[in-house]
Amino acid sequence: MHKSDTCLNTPFMPTKALLRAIVPMSQDNFLFQFRIEEPGPLSSCAPGQFIQLWIPGAGEAPISVCSGSVDGSLELCVRKAGRVTSALFNLVEGDWVGLRGPYGSGFPVKDYVGKDLVLIAGGLGVAPIRSLWQYILDRREQFGKLVLIYGMRHSEMLLFRQEFKLLLRRKDMHVFIAAEEVIGPDLPSVSWQLGRVTDMIKLAEIDECFLAAVCGPPVMYKYVVTELQNKGLKNDNIWLSLERHMKCAVGKCGHCFVGGTFTCREGPVFRMDTLRFLPEVIECS
Amino acid sequence: MFLVRNGEKQVNECSPLPSIAVHGLTGCAGELLVILENLEKLIPYVWVSSFPFAQSRNDDDDRPVDIAFIEGSVSQPHDLARLMKIRAQARWLVAVGNCAVWGCVQRGGCRKEPVDSMLTATYGADSPIQALPSTPLDQHVRVDVKLSGCPINSTQLLAVTASLLRDHLPYITSKPVCLECKLRENACVLIENNLPCLGPITAGGCGALCPTYGAACYGCWGPSEEPQMEAMATILQEKGYALDEVMGRLFAFGAPDELFDRVKRSVPQA
Amino acid sequence: MQRSAVLSKNRFPDFFDLLKEFGAVFAPRRVSQKSFSFKQVDHPSEIAFEALRTILPPKKFFFQQRETIISYDKDGVKEVKPKVAPQVIFGLHPCDLTGLGIMDKIYAADPPDPHYLTRRKATLLVGLSCMPDKHCFCKAMGTDSPTSDYDLFLTDIGDDYFLQIHTAAGQSLIESQSELFGAASEINKQGFKDFWTTRDQAFPSHFESENLPAIMDLEWDNKIWDDLGNRCLSCGNCTPVCPTCYCFDMVDVASLHAQEGERAREWDSCQFVGFAKVAGGTNFRPGPVDRLKFWYRHKLHGFEDPHGLQTCVGCGRCTESCPSGIDDIVNVVLRLQGKPSVLVTDTPKAGGGSSAGGCGSSAGCGAAGGTCGDAHDNSQSGYLQIERRGDDSDA
Repeated sequence: MHKSDTCLNTPFMPTKALLRAIVPMSQDNFLFQFRIEEPGPLSSCAPGQFIQLWIPGAGEAPISVCSGSVDGSLELCVRKAGRVTSALFNLVEGDWVGLRGPYGSGFPVKDYVGKDLVLIAGGLGVAPIRSLWQYILDRREQFGKLVLIYGMRHSEMLLFRQEFKLLLRRKDMHVFIAAEEVIGPDLPSVSWQLGRVTDMIKLAEIDECFLAAVCGPPVMYKYVVTELQNKGLKNDNIWLSLERHMKCAVGKCGHCFVGGTFTCREGPVFRMDTLRFLPEVIECS
Repeated sequence: MFLVRNGEKQVNECSPLPSIAVHGLTGCAGELLVILENLEKLIPYVWVSSFPFAQSRNDDDDRPVDIAFIEGSVSQPHDLARLMKIRAQARWLVAVGNCAVWGCVQRGGCRKEPVDSMLTATYGADSPIQALPSTPLDQHVRVDVKLSGCPINSTQLLAVTASLLRDHLPYITSKPVCLECKLRENACVLIENNLPCLGPITAGGCGALCPTYGAACYGCWGPSEEPQMEAMATILQEKGYALDEVMGRLFAFGAPDELFDRVKRSVPQA
Repeated sequence: MQRSAVLSKNRFPDFFDLLKEFGAVFAPRRVSQKSFSFKQVDHPSEIAFEALRTILPPKKFFFQQRETIISYDKDGVKEVKPKVAPQVIFGLHPCDLTGLGIMDKIYAADPPDPHYLTRRKATLLVGLSCMPDKHCFCKAMGTDSPTSDYDLFLTDIGDDYFLQIHTAAGQSLIESQSELFGAASEINKQGFKDFWTTRDQAFPSHFESENLPAIMDLEWDNKIWDDLGNRCLSCGNCTPVCPTCYCFDMVDVASLHAQEGERAREWDSCQFVGFAKVAGGTNFRPGPVDRLKFWYRHKLHGFEDPHGLQTCVGCGRCTESCPSGIDDIVNVVLRLQGKPSVLVTDTPKAGGGSSAGGCGSSAGCGAAGGTCGDAHDNSQSGYLQIERRGDDSDA
């Protein structure tokens, strides 16, 4: 935070970020908006990249960015899942945290230009996928057909509810929102589908020309990939954003090794055909 | 610069500081001694609401507190009653020491012999003393933090307190004793001296104290995370330790019954 | 061109004093009947010249067991600068030098790690020749001669040491007291060559390693991994003792004072159950078999990462420090290659009272193909979930 001639430039030095707003989105998913005074590299987060969030005293956790960072503001959609995220949920507006990043490869958006795209999100996996659709919608004319599939266990878990209301109205994309359990009065403009992400892939008009970007809980991948392959997609047209335990995020600590590569450097977004040792990568307990 | 808050503090008319209480159930008071030793460091940051072990007056204060440290296992009916009362009054309940976390030797003993026959043999048939099979705290109440040890490590105690004062759950790993032993560059007593060292399956935190002095780890901090019991039993058997002896060593310090069953299932009887 | 010199063994104390002028000297010292450790030495008599492998490899001098990286207080967050003083590590064998070279690559890779590199730059590495024992297989891994990662290297040629001078730092040290050293004569050079030829033929354990990555790919589903993994204690002894295991954990150490604390890193092991666990409890390598295979793969195949390094240097530390005898790399490789080999899992399970382990003994099948091995009946699904104390996995 203090740059001087004598500083070591350790890659573990965080940048100070002010917690500006907390928006509850579901029972245990909140949207945290940060303001960064000296964003440095944090000012340009590409879709699919992640940052390391540090709560002093509690530790660090890797969190996907869910919006492109503009002018030093950054949004993180976080589920209360472990020690660090629980500590984050204890904070209030005006508190400070440390951020460093962005890290990882992100989605290769340049390669997506001119292509038909299907974006598939399961649960909290919607966060990195959101940064991707926002990027695409900002440049909609550069891309072909756009299908967005978002699945969750229970309709109460819908995140970015207001944004989805707007997305559903758009004529230039096809949005599927699915839950295995839909309870309560339907949202006026949200047309719920009953089922899983894989059911939506079957429903959607997708052909072998589509490229797929997928992010969701670990158990989801093998089913989604199988379904996409049934639609004719080849492995080199499928990108997966993988979640791994990370400590350093700079390719040294070894925690995120998967199929022979550092998730934090080579990933978290991998093109399917570049992943070896798929059993370890997408099938797990 | 980092704002740290302590959430909704218990109202405490005596002090603006967060309050702690330190209680002992059935145990050797080793943990209470460690806390007593560290009290000087804690005093600037906490208000000690109740600490019967360190008080001349034996008050079992039941004021609400932010953190309640409890040593000892539940081995008598009045232990259970006190535990319930403390839990109801504490925001964070910290089980300290192997007795509170795993049940320690008294739980190991209860596995060998029914508690009633031990009671009769020790105190006679018409003794007024009542006893329960020894159990760790989490079999009765919600335990927020488990800090094992025999006794606990001072540094860990202070770190746990520091985390809880910030409303963070502390980071307590139960990586095996072997890691600490290697970091100290001790010669391995299991390999070099064929001692029945339980370091591979025992939670570290002690700094590999026994192996450092050439003795085998006897597992006093309780099992490490997902201990490989079957492999440990196999290797001790290969070193010439009979299964009964192996099991005795593995379970002296209150490891849960499931682990016991696993060894029995997987290791062929000698 | 690399320069060379000779040092008479009876002038070694003077050479040692010269090293001490550079900085504190660390060398292998005996710590038990069988074990050695790199420790500070004040006098040459304290050095265990016979030491083949120390308990911990020399990585500990640069990548410390535990190190505070940043600290914070009410004024802000600060980097914690490592306390660095010039130091000499003496008695490094070729395997350890290669290991340090691999560590250097990892920690110098972008973004460079200043804590590691600052220490590394303040250090003079002085190698020493050795004769292999049954656990050494550096020749198989191609790490049996000093290559690039040293300042000076001493080869024992009888009454003298033959010095290879590899860096400017090494050169200037020699020049600072040049009367101590003689020019290498033809006889000395022949002695040097003879030593390394003799050493090359002295390896009791060996395997052909050209096809190793391919073998590791082909034999990924070999039953041997289940047999070995089911004996694994997950104690993590194999990783701290490995010269190239560089994984670490980052921890916050909160101070009782609300606005103060630090972040530290400490050695971690891929053999621990929590290593690859993410928030929500999904574990990508849940059983000891998964974790052992993963480690073997990193060592013998290397990862498809930018470094692409086969990270085993053949020092034999893991073989020697594994309580259950499953890190018998030489025999595991031979078994995978379908060659005669003896593994600890070959010994029928003793009913108590058998000698420790089976490795090194002549028992076992010894036949090609590796079809034997005992049947442990602990299937992986049987592993019990112990309640975790303090959930660390957060994502």
